[in-house]
Amino acid sequence: MTILAVMVLVSILNLHNVIHHGEVRYVFSGWAVPLGIEWVADGLASVILVLLSALGLLGVVFTGPTSPKALGGRIVHFYTLILLLVSALTGIVFAGDLFNLFVFLEVGALSSYALVGVAGGRALFAAFRYLILGTLGASLYLLGVSYLYALTGTLNMADLADRLPLLLHSKAVVGGLLFMFIGLGIKMALVPFHAWMPEAYTYAPESTAPILASLITKVVLLAWVRIIYWVFNASTIIFDIPILLLVAVLGVLAAVIGASLALAQRDIKMMFAYGGISHIGIILIGIGQGNQTGFVGGIFYLMNDAVMQAGLFFIAGVAICQYGVRTIDDLGRVGRQAPWLTGSLVVVSLGMIGLPPTGGFFGKWYIILGALEAGNYVSVAAVVLSTLLTLAYFVKLFEGIFRQSSTQSDFQFGEIPLSFKLTLGVTTAAVLILGIFSAPIVQLLLNQALPPGL
Amino acid sequence: MFDAIFAVLQRPNFLTFVIIFLWGFYIMVTRYNLVKKLIGMYLVQTSVIFFLVSISAKEGATVPILLSITEPVQAANYANPLPHVLTLTAIVVGVATLGVGLALCGAIYRKYGSLDEQKILEKLE
Repeated sequence: MTILAVMVLVSILNLHNVIHHGEVRYVFSGWAVPLGIEWVADGLASVILVLLSALGLLGVVFTGPTSPKALGGRIVHFYTLILLLVSALTGIVFAGDLFNLFVFLEVGALSSYALVGVAGGRALFAAFRYLILGTLGASLYLLGVSYLYALTGTLNMADLADRLPLLLHSKAVVGGLLFMFIGLGIKMALVPFHAWMPEAYTYAPESTAPILASLITKVVLLAWVRIIYWVFNASTIIFDIPILLLVAVLGVLAAVIGASLALAQRDIKMMFAYGGISHIGIILIGIGQGNQTGFVGGIFYLMNDAVMQAGLFFIAGVAICQYGVRTIDDLGRVGRQAPWLTGSLVVVSLGMIGLPPTGGFFGKWYIILGALEAGNYVSVAAVVLSTLLTLAYFVKLFEGIFRQSSTQSDFQFGEIPLSFKLTLGVTTAAVLILGIFSAPIVQLLLNQALPPGL
Repeated sequence: MFDAIFAVLQRPNFLTFVIIFLWGFYIMVTRYNLVKKLIGMYLVQTSVIFFLVSISAKEGATVPILLSITEPVQAANYANPLPHVLTLTAIVVGVATLGVGLALCGAIYRKYGSLDEQKILEKLE
């Protein structure tokens, strides 16, 4: 916990440094780029790092009273795995070359398989499926990287960006790009490849689900953005198909299908996980518009979505550990007697739906503005449709909580622990703060985090 | 048609890579036994590693160790070491993944008494 607290401070200092002095490039053991390995801390990476370390710290605070009882003395290994996961994600955010990205991807994935499997029972099987699919994704990504390496002879992102424009007519570049996209798509639960994600996050232990759900898919999405905008140029057209169009179409599919599937769930964690899939789609819609407003909206929505997913899985964790409820109906019976739970659920779900005082609204607002600017009305329709579906499944949840006032149940619950209050309170406040201070944050992203050539 | 076949036969390493990759993928998709799925997964990883090694092969080249510091370096005489280094890292990652997968298999077997996916799914219902 101390380590992560220090990490939060360091990441904020780093952000401050990057804002005032420009990006920092760290070259490992003095070998000059492109021969050596490089870490790049530019504006985007620094912003995401602050988010990542803060959510990691909150996740560890939450772990205390909820960690699996069967672990006993092996709890130390459990915390080690969490730290390994957070450091691997940091590596993905900073990595300056494609192969290091792969290594960090796999380190993070290995620790998350273990963290899912710790719960035992059904989680073992979910973790096994996650492992098979995740490794297939990683292999495809590595295959794509080796295609690009065979063509250009370099792995460094900046160096690749220099050499690729001359090679875009080559079929091998297209093959490598597609393999990389499919591989990362499996890792971030993009819609045709999302099969592992809801099960893994539903059966994962309550204590680790918030960290896994809020961070892994978002950070892999960030790696995807880096490859699209930093390695390939955003305006790349391959065989008459702009790659950004591809991204926007995938986003539209994910946004609508994910939200429709969420509507059909009874288990709260399952519902939140499908909600996360649809929000990945919304972020991709923003990123695929190819203009500044859409890109910044997408990144801002990514930050919001990480906070909201963490909040939702904290809520689900508190509901399961403290009140022993798993389904929407049971949550309705408990609702009235759990003020902290219901209060934060209301605020976070306002954010998920996207109503004005929260950050979710402003993210969607900039994404829609970007889509209008690009004249892409299908994307606007998809964002609106996905918002309506999100509204529908949260209405289902609240109907249970606020209507069944007559059937006062005979549950009696004790006071909830301080760490629960702390995590619920902080994420709820963060959803509101991201909304209220959205203007300066978006301005910061516009100034610091834009890719070259946009 | 024949041109395409001859073009493929010119590159036997690519053909081998594709066969191993699809073979592993086929095993992963069709077999119900969890350990067999892991074997398929490992074949997929191995095929990618094979591809990486094969693209760095060079005829008449030797290991990249500099014998004399006075003569100018002839890059054509040395094999490119970088793909091999990448391969080593990828092998380590693959072994670690396989280890975690086998540990999960062991835990599943102790819990459900079977490694057959269909039997486990029946017990889960």
